[in-house]
Amino acid sequence: MERLLLFYKLIVWGYAALDYISSEQRNESWFVLSSLIYFCLSLSASIVRNVRWKKGAALCSVVLVILSSAYVEPSFGLLLPLNGYELASFYIPRLWGIWVVLLVPMVWLGPSAAKLYGLVALFSLVSVTTAKRHLERMKQQEDRLDQLRNDWHRLTRSVNEYHQYIKQSEYMLQLEERNRLSQRIHDQIGHSLTGALIQMEAAKRLMDGDRNKAKQLLENAIHISKEGIEQIRMTLKQMKPPPEQMGINRVKLFIDEFSAQHHLPIPLVCKGDLDVITPIQWKVIYENMAEALTNAIKYAEATAIAVEIHVLNRVIKVEVKDNGKGATKIKKGLGIIGMEERAASVHGTVIVDGTNGFSVTTLLPIHE
Amino acid sequence: MLEIKQVTKKFGDFIAVDHMSLSVAEGEIFGFLGANGAGKSTTINMIAGLLRPNAGEITILGKDITRHRQFAKRQIGIVPQEIAIYENLTAYENVEFFAGLYGLRGAELRQRVEEALEFVGLSDKRKRYPKHFSGGMKRRLNIACAIAHRPKLIIMDEPTVGIDPQSRNDILAAVKKLNDMGCTMIYTSHYMEEVEEICTRIAIIDHGKIIAEGTKEQLEAMITDTKDIWIEIRGMDQLNKQHLQDIPGVKAVQCEENIIKISSDINVNHLNQIVQCLINDGVEIRSLEDQSPNLETVFLTLTGRNLRDS
Repeated sequence: MERLLLFYKLIVWGYAALDYISSEQRNESWFVLSSLIYFCLSLSASIVRNVRWKKGAALCSVVLVILSSAYVEPSFGLLLPLNGYELASFYIPRLWGIWVVLLVPMVWLGPSAAKLYGLVALFSLVSVTTAKRHLERMKQQEDRLDQLRNDWHRLTRSVNEYHQYIKQSEYMLQLEERNRLSQRIHDQIGHSLTGALIQMEAAKRLMDGDRNKAKQLLENAIHISKEGIEQIRMTLKQMKPPPEQMGINRVKLFIDEFSAQHHLPIPLVCKGDLDVITPIQWKVIYENMAEALTNAIKYAEATAIAVEIHVLNRVIKVEVKDNGKGATKIKKGLGIIGMEERAASVHGTVIVDGTNGFSVTTLLPIHE
Repeated sequence: MLEIKQVTKKFGDFIAVDHMSLSVAEGEIFGFLGANGAGKSTTINMIAGLLRPNAGEITILGKDITRHRQFAKRQIGIVPQEIAIYENLTAYENVEFFAGLYGLRGAELRQRVEEALEFVGLSDKRKRYPKHFSGGMKRRLNIACAIAHRPKLIIMDEPTVGIDPQSRNDILAAVKKLNDMGCTMIYTSHYMEEVEEICTRIAIIDHGKIIAEGTKEQLEAMITDTKDIWIEIRGMDQLNKQHLQDIPGVKAVQCEENIIKISSDINVNHLNQIVQCLINDGVEIRSLEDQSPNLETVFLTLTGRNLRDS
């Protein structure tokens, strides 16, 4: 801004200088001196940081301009609007106030000079004001850009942290699982195998002497081994949970509790092959459904809410629909935005419709 | 050709278009399918530069339309939903006027106007006033007004609303012809059949969002991978079900009284083989009904609503 003001001053000064050269008066040294002082003041006003110094420099410039227009060269007075603006803008917040102040000197000028002065004053005011506005806007934009950059940075970092966290938890889970497995093998299978082995060793020694005893021991060993195998089978079976157990059971449990809590029937319909839903999708489904159900209770005045999970060929559709009053105009609150964001995190969308009751549909694509 | 990135348009609290992103490639007939009030026209108006998006960016041939307004306007021809022609100008004058707005002058202007009128089949009515025209003729005149400056992208916003079937077929044919001539088309409608018939790619829009996008086949494949054919026959006892099941692609065959329901892979076309098989078995075919999914079912399945009653 200051640089622009300097530039405008230079233009007006150039005009004054031309005017001076073309006129007949010849007191060059004074003109050059006042010009130089003027330059110094203007430059120092833009160099110093302290506001008080700035004000001082601006005031000095105004005094200088008035003095030199009176004693050296009248066209120097054309610089007055710019300097006056500079000074007045420290004190007067309103544009028209500055404008009035700038026009005051016209009272003392002759008609032709007043016209020129008025023109230059108008030019100065308009150009400086536009420049100022532009700069302000630019600054705003830059601030916004900065903020966006910061946001971006922050988000990237949290994404990275998130990735780290996922890796960490995966590793932890693996450790826990391994631990559990080794414990199981040790506690059950290990014991039975060792038991069987001891019995068989004993049978081998007794084989030649007491055949009956040996036979009995072998029977025992066979029995223990059978039990061991059975245990292995059980362990394996327990280890492998049915894939949909986590997701759908959690959903069912939530719906049952919610239904009981609010004395409201909430039928759940599942269609299609639930196995294709990944754990992360289950998380989105669960959270969106919980949010939609809570919203329905809060706002809809509904007497029934239906939940449908429908696995289609390439999409999963989860619909929570109530028979309440609906909404003709939907204002997106944090809840809906949250649902949309969660869905978007797995490339899905959310459709909110209030024309017939209120329904929230989450659509998630199935990736092969 | 056209790229829409994260465009949002709000009217007060109402969000007409909600973070919409899509791209239309050159030479496509891109269909916007959605119920009334889904945000189709708002999107169109933003592409045409009549509305400014609250957020997001629209580019045509790589240039931002808000920064290159003149350029963008010359590339686009728009046939609005409401017929926009002057009743007190002749057909010729109407086209001349609109083409003139794009800076065409003199002999070139006259030639283009002639071409446009010829294209929509109104050459012989050039001196007539549109107030004597039928709805379909007005539509066609409106199309002529939109194409005289030879735009690269032509947008038609529900051009078949309220006109007779003949004119409708003419318009659909015109869309195809313009596309053959190298124009990229955007076509909006809430008539599923039209979109299914002419569009190479379709976006299903609901509540200002694109909920699905792709070719007709891709959209249908979203909801199912089987299609059903119902065949009413006479002489069920002569039928050998196994013959039908042996046809590649057939997943299941169900017989109920005199109707055979065949479910099969959506990507396989084996209607000929099925019919042949029935004839070989000496069965008389009374009627044949294709119960395959269509865009209407896709819309219904995804949104829970019909295209037309919402």
